[in-house]
Amino acid sequence: MTITVPYLDRFGFALAGCGAGLGLARLINVPIGRVVALVAAVGFVMAVASLLADRKRAKRVSSKAEQALRIIESMPALAWFADADGKFLYMSQSPRVFTGLPKEDLVSTKDDEFGFRNVVHPDDLGRVLKAWRHSLRTGHDYNCEHRMWRENGGYRWYRSFGLPTRDRDGRVIGWYGTTIDVDELKTAEAALREQERSLQQLIDTVPALIGCLSPQGNPVYFNKQMVEYTGLPVTQLGSFDAVVEVIIHPDDAIAVHNSVLRGIETGEPFGLRHRLRQSDGTYRWFDSRAAPMRNAAGEIVQWYGVCLDIDAQMHAEEALRRSEQKLQQLIDAVPAMIWSKEPDGKLTYVSKRFTETTGATLEDAIATDGISCLNVVYPEDRAEVDAAFTRACETGTIYLQRHRQVRRGGTYRWTESRAEPLRDAAGNIIQWYGVSVDIDDMTVAQESLRDRERELSQLVDMVPSQVWRLTPNGEPTFFNKRMVEYLGFHVADTDKPGMSRLEAIIEAVHPDDAAEYRNALNHCLASGESFVMRYRLRRADGVYRWMSSRAEPLRDQGGRIVQWYGLCHDIDDEMRLYSAIAEREARIRRLIDSDIIGIVIWDLDGTLIDANDAFLRMIQYERADVQAGLRWLDLTPPDWQEVHAREEAEELAATGKMQAREKEFFRKDGSRVPILIGAACFEGQSRQGVAYILDLSERKRAEVALRESEQQLQQLVDTVPTQIWCVTPEGEPSYINKTMMDYIGMKLENFDAEGGLRGAIGDLVHPDDREALHRALSHSFRTGEPFALRFRNRRGDGVYRWQEGRAEPLRNESGDIIQWYGANVDIDDMLATEEALRNSTRQLQQMIDAVPANILSYDPAGKLTSVSKRYLEDVGTPPDHIEGFEELASRLVHPDDLPVMLRRALDGFATGMPFVNRFRRRDRHGTYPWIEARAQPLRDASGAIVQWYQVSIDIDGEVRAHEALRKREQELSQLVDALPVHIWSWTPAGKLAYVNKRSLEDLGISSANFEETTRVAQELIHPEDAAEVLRTSLSCLKTGDPFLMRYRRRWKDGNYRWIEARCEPLRDRDGTIIHWYQVSIDIDDQVRAHEALRQSERSLRQLVETLPAMIDCADPNGEPIYRSQQLREFLGYELEALDGTEKTRLDGTLDAGVHPDDVAGVKERYAHSLATGEPFARRHRLRRFDGAYRWVETRAEAMRNAEGSIVQWNVMCMDIDGEVRAQEALRLAQERLARASQAASLAELSASIAHEVNQPLAAVVANSHACQRWLTADPPNIDRAHRTVERIVRDANAAADVVSRIRALFKQSMDSRVSMTLGSIITETRELMAEEALRRSVRMEFEFESGLPPVAVDRVQLQQVLINLIRNGMEAMDALASGKVLRLRVRSVAEALQVEVSDRGQGIEHPERIFEPFFTTKEHGMGMGLAICRSIIESHGGKLWAETNGPPGATFIFTLPIEAKDAA
Amino acid sequence: MTNDDPIVFIVDDDIRIREALDELLASHGIAAHAFASAGEYVNADKPKRPACLILDVELPDINGLDLQRQIADGDHPPIVFITGHGDIPSTVRAIKHGAVDFLTKPFSDAALMQAVRAAVAQDRKAHAERAELDVLKQRYLDLTPREREVLPLVVSGLLNKQAAVELGISEVTLQIHRRNVMKKMVAASLADLVRIAERLQIPVTHSRRTGEE
Repeated sequence: MTITVPYLDRFGFALAGCGAGLGLARLINVPIGRVVALVAAVGFVMAVASLLADRKRAKRVSSKAEQALRIIESMPALAWFADADGKFLYMSQSPRVFTGLPKEDLVSTKDDEFGFRNVVHPDDLGRVLKAWRHSLRTGHDYNCEHRMWRENGGYRWYRSFGLPTRDRDGRVIGWYGTTIDVDELKTAEAALREQERSLQQLIDTVPALIGCLSPQGNPVYFNKQMVEYTGLPVTQLGSFDAVVEVIIHPDDAIAVHNSVLRGIETGEPFGLRHRLRQSDGTYRWFDSRAAPMRNAAGEIVQWYGVCLDIDAQMHAEEALRRSEQKLQQLIDAVPAMIWSKEPDGKLTYVSKRFTETTGATLEDAIATDGISCLNVVYPEDRAEVDAAFTRACETGTIYLQRHRQVRRGGTYRWTESRAEPLRDAAGNIIQWYGVSVDIDDMTVAQESLRDRERELSQLVDMVPSQVWRLTPNGEPTFFNKRMVEYLGFHVADTDKPGMSRLEAIIEAVHPDDAAEYRNALNHCLASGESFVMRYRLRRADGVYRWMSSRAEPLRDQGGRIVQWYGLCHDIDDEMRLYSAIAEREARIRRLIDSDIIGIVIWDLDGTLIDANDAFLRMIQYERADVQAGLRWLDLTPPDWQEVHAREEAEELAATGKMQAREKEFFRKDGSRVPILIGAACFEGQSRQGVAYILDLSERKRAEVALRESEQQLQQLVDTVPTQIWCVTPEGEPSYINKTMMDYIGMKLENFDAEGGLRGAIGDLVHPDDREALHRALSHSFRTGEPFALRFRNRRGDGVYRWQEGRAEPLRNESGDIIQWYGANVDIDDMLATEEALRNSTRQLQQMIDAVPANILSYDPAGKLTSVSKRYLEDVGTPPDHIEGFEELASRLVHPDDLPVMLRRALDGFATGMPFVNRFRRRDRHGTYPWIEARAQPLRDASGAIVQWYQVSIDIDGEVRAHEALRKREQELSQLVDALPVHIWSWTPAGKLAYVNKRSLEDLGISSANFEETTRVAQELIHPEDAAEVLRTSLSCLKTGDPFLMRYRRRWKDGNYRWIEARCEPLRDRDGTIIHWYQVSIDIDDQVRAHEALRQSERSLRQLVETLPAMIDCADPNGEPIYRSQQLREFLGYELEALDGTEKTRLDGTLDAGVHPDDVAGVKERYAHSLATGEPFARRHRLRRFDGAYRWVETRAEAMRNAEGSIVQWNVMCMDIDGEVRAQEALRLAQERLARASQAASLAELSASIAHEVNQPLAAVVANSHACQRWLTADPPNIDRAHRTVERIVRDANAAADVVSRIRALFKQSMDSRVSMTLGSIITETRELMAEEALRRSVRMEFEFESGLPPVAVDRVQLQQVLINLIRNGMEAMDALASGKVLRLRVRSVAEALQVEVSDRGQGIEHPERIFEPFFTTKEHGMGMGLAICRSIIESHGGKLWAETNGPPGATFIFTLPIEAKDAA
Repeated sequence: MTNDDPIVFIVDDDIRIREALDELLASHGIAAHAFASAGEYVNADKPKRPACLILDVELPDINGLDLQRQIADGDHPPIVFITGHGDIPSTVRAIKHGAVDFLTKPFSDAALMQAVRAAVAQDRKAHAERAELDVLKQRYLDLTPREREVLPLVVSGLLNKQAAVELGISEVTLQIHRRNVMKKMVAASLADLVRIAERLQIPVTHSRRTGEE
């Protein structure tokens, strides 16, 4: 055995290096075996390197070889060398020393077998030999650990190093090696590894995310939990900014950023809550805290942070906050004012809306002595509201009060407030919860309705006629006031035993008329004909009076008589014709509208004559549009118009039909609707016909939807971030999606068509994986088994990335594979992550102690195994000994929390389930802050628990905040549930999100029952209302408009009650709707009252409209504000037709309607009535719609309010044309009689005159005869003749006296003269003569000079003159056919007034003679009239004469002196 | 002035008419007596001579026509009405009740005088008839009751025998009564007696035929 000295020398260095390495390793005592080994190896390599470098110097130190050999021989290690073939040539010590075995047994003699072959542990031998041979072959250094037999028993660990030595050519010529006992190192290393592993486990298993940050804030370490949670190793988040960007929720990023920066700047521990992204992309809430670790100099060397998952808690809290917020929003958003108050009336809460609406805040209300919310109650209502509330408090019943509420700005509106008490367990009221709803509109509407009803009622009572109503079988049900007054009894009084009401009425009819009345009425009731009759009716005082009664039936749509309305006046009955036509029209319309398809009646000129509702719905036009002359061209889009004009019209004209065809129409809004239209002409005519239209939009929509769906699928396939491919069963790639194309940067067409699958693989797959992939694919294709493999695939940029490819076959019905579908998932990053994770093993203990949370661990039995430093600091009493869990808990946990905490913890220990506890724990200062402790077990591979880890954090602040929040939420919740209204909320999608408790109780439902709007509508809303409510609510959901509707909602007892539901959206800052809030108020009573009122109003309206009289209402100024249908039909225009002209409605009506001869009088009287408030009554002619003037009697009476001021005029206008004409005839007859009697009295007068004259004449005659006889007697008796002559003279004078006396007759009234203006006398005369003028069809024109002075006249005498002259003038014109005009003119001439009466008659032949007594041109005239007139005028000091005023006519003129004293 | 000279009564409220008529009648030689009123006329003591009453229709106390009706039953002179203005109804009424004439003022001398003379003549004749009847009435009053019973039976044409049975007396007794009646009544024959009975308006109570049955 030869030893080459230089080699030994080098060994010396090498061993020294090893020794130094070992020493250093011991010194440092780094508990990591691997480090030691490395250091040792490095020392050795350094030594060898220096040895080789100083090869030339070696000879110089050969003298020290012996010494070195000794060192080698005695060092506690084996040194050896081998030749290039690996044969051991030298060993530093006798193996016996080492092993106690003979060398021969130890050392192998074979060249390539490692020298200690026989003592190496059999388990290690293979490895040792393999490594040795590998080194021999390649020339690499040899390094191997293995166990070797030791003489004192057992194997120990050794490490063998070997280095080759080479000649100048670099060939290996030998090996030098050493084998060192590393058993202790190995053991130490194992222990250290164990410790490290345990810490790693601790850190990784502690139920918290733990991380370290550099002093600059960059992450340097994440524990396993953190890594698993985030899915990212710390290396991927190299900087703090990256952390913030990648794993912190964007919303929290700024807060986290700022908080961390501040912490870093100040060095203060910091903590905050934020969301952290989980590997699957979701975020969870964490409570993160960080504290710095400082070195001896106080500089920060590291930041340690812990993140505790508080997501559930946050969610709970969030849910709680949301709930609180929701409730708050709900309370603020429900369209009602909400408040609560204490039983003493002190307000305790008002909602935002209350404040917004009234301008009063809770503070205001409290400031005003807390006297409830009375300061917003309208002052007049306060006492009542107060009383109502006090009453409610006393009785404990529901408080319900309507009052006016003062609003911001000083206005007030009607409000309904309701409140219900909340009681404690003992039944005492502790709080009132109330809601105030604005019912102003409703109140006002109701008020106006009530007013209207009252007006109508008054109208019916005030119309100057008797009005009554009968049931269809003739039972009277209504008498108006006048009727009651007339009859002296009410309808109710007609209920008499043993007879029907009708019979009771007939009792009041005159016995002579009763039978006819009964028959006529029964006939009408049976036949439905109008009832018209005149009969005598007994008035209250027993007097029978003639009544002209008229009644008409009111029919429902089905033609059944529902009521009879009647009154005592006649009217025309044009109306019935009208209603018959309307009914026929309606029948046809129903016929057409009952159809589902559109039907149009058209004219070839392009107009739509009529269309049914279905068609109108289709084109969304109104019926009014059709009536206004809708044309096909309006509906037909331009591109169809030509077709329409050319083909369709031609086809129709030619064949009388149009085959069904598809086309489009414009809707009213301009959108198009596809339709199918067919048409046919009416039989027998080619101009008009009917068209049938079918809406095709549904079908078109379906087609489009299908196309879109297909496209979407294609997009989906192309867009999924997974590479998808298809392969034929033969292995031909047949499809790759866009993701894959993008990834590989190739399209399917780019594949080598010839190469097939193998070609594709060759193109894309990493060379190392190609074969495996091909094999796996081929296998799958052959067997049909699913394919799964990981392989590297080349990306478009040439980089290979790991993919996991999977494929499955699609089979046809017979089980044959028709296609393979595959997907590749890029798992490169995942693999890389895994790799990185494996490398992390450091700095854990520090971390545990540094993280700002308490960490404890227990063994499975619950025995405390370790606590973090921070725990000790916080809890303050470092336990001397490790205690059991129970012991520890009972010492530290607040007694109140202990039972729960302990039970849960023991349960957790028992079941192995992680558990969380919140409880108060006594800290070092003896206070009990709230903490949250989470415990989680660590299990070994077999699933057995090896350790429990627990982390606890201080949550005191949160718990207290939480408590406060919960309290608030509870209060609000109580408020919401106690409010006596239904409060619901909906999601923007229309799902029911919340229902308050009262709703559930009232409606008898559970909130779980309902979600969908439609479902709610179906279940809870009255079927009649449901569709409309649903439609409106869906529309509101779409448009965002507030929803306000009244409908019936089903209560739990099954009854429906009317509610008013208001729903308004709550919007976020962008205006997006985030929630809908609905409040529903029970308005059933109101609605029913309202309905009753409306019913009454309708009934009265029907009555008014049906009354056979024309009714008009006018405001206090006389302006018409309402006209009954009868009047409107009579006039032929609507009231509104009068608006917009310059005239007022009143003047418009009068000017247009009243006969020109009557209009002045009517206006004057009307003005008088309006001014004085006296009733108006006048007969005049009124123009009917057809232009005919008919006589009407108009009566108007003022309706006054309680104060007596006029609020309305009720006008009733009755057509009395027939009556007037009958009356006219009567008056003519009367006049004839009057004239006859006048003639008689004239005859008497003349007789008297004759008597007066004849008496003396007779005496004269007799005396004359006597005288004659006396003179002719023989002898003549002169004496007696003389006496008789004397008597003759005397009697003749007497006769003359008589005439004088007659003339004196007219002078008797001289004394009754008074001074007056002529105007009043003439006006009166005109009134007197008006009827006669009318009868004679003479128009009178009166003309006054203004400012005429008064004259002294005898009124009666002057009237006699005027009447005489006027009548003469009229009579003079009797023969004229037309143009009868009598003019009367008054003017002042010199000292006198001159009155001229001119006619257009034939004129006068003897202008002077006519004034002589007994001169007459008339057949029956006395010839005294003008004589008397002249004598009267002359007695007044005036003159009367006549002039012929040129053809035609005559003028009579008289004068009267102006000065009254001259008159005598 | 003899008892046979006529006298004309004038009733007129107008003094001028009374004077004129008085004068006119005087010129014709007829006596007249004028009254201003109906009352004066009725109450006046009027002489028993042929007379005429000129009566004005219009009187202050009573209408002339009414006066005519009032005095119709009594023994009054024929009436000639005069009037200021005559009307047909009044005229007809007056004539129907027996007025001689109805004259409208002013009337002619001739018309008046013709009416007056006619009236006087009528009155004169009535006077004569009245005187004859008075004699017959006196004679009748002279009969015994039995004779007054016998008279109607006789003038009725009953046979003596029948009349005797009627009165329950013998035929002889009856014949005595009959002879007495004839003598007292100055009747020349039975026919004369029948005429007298007729003028006295003694009713014929029995017919012979009745008696025979």
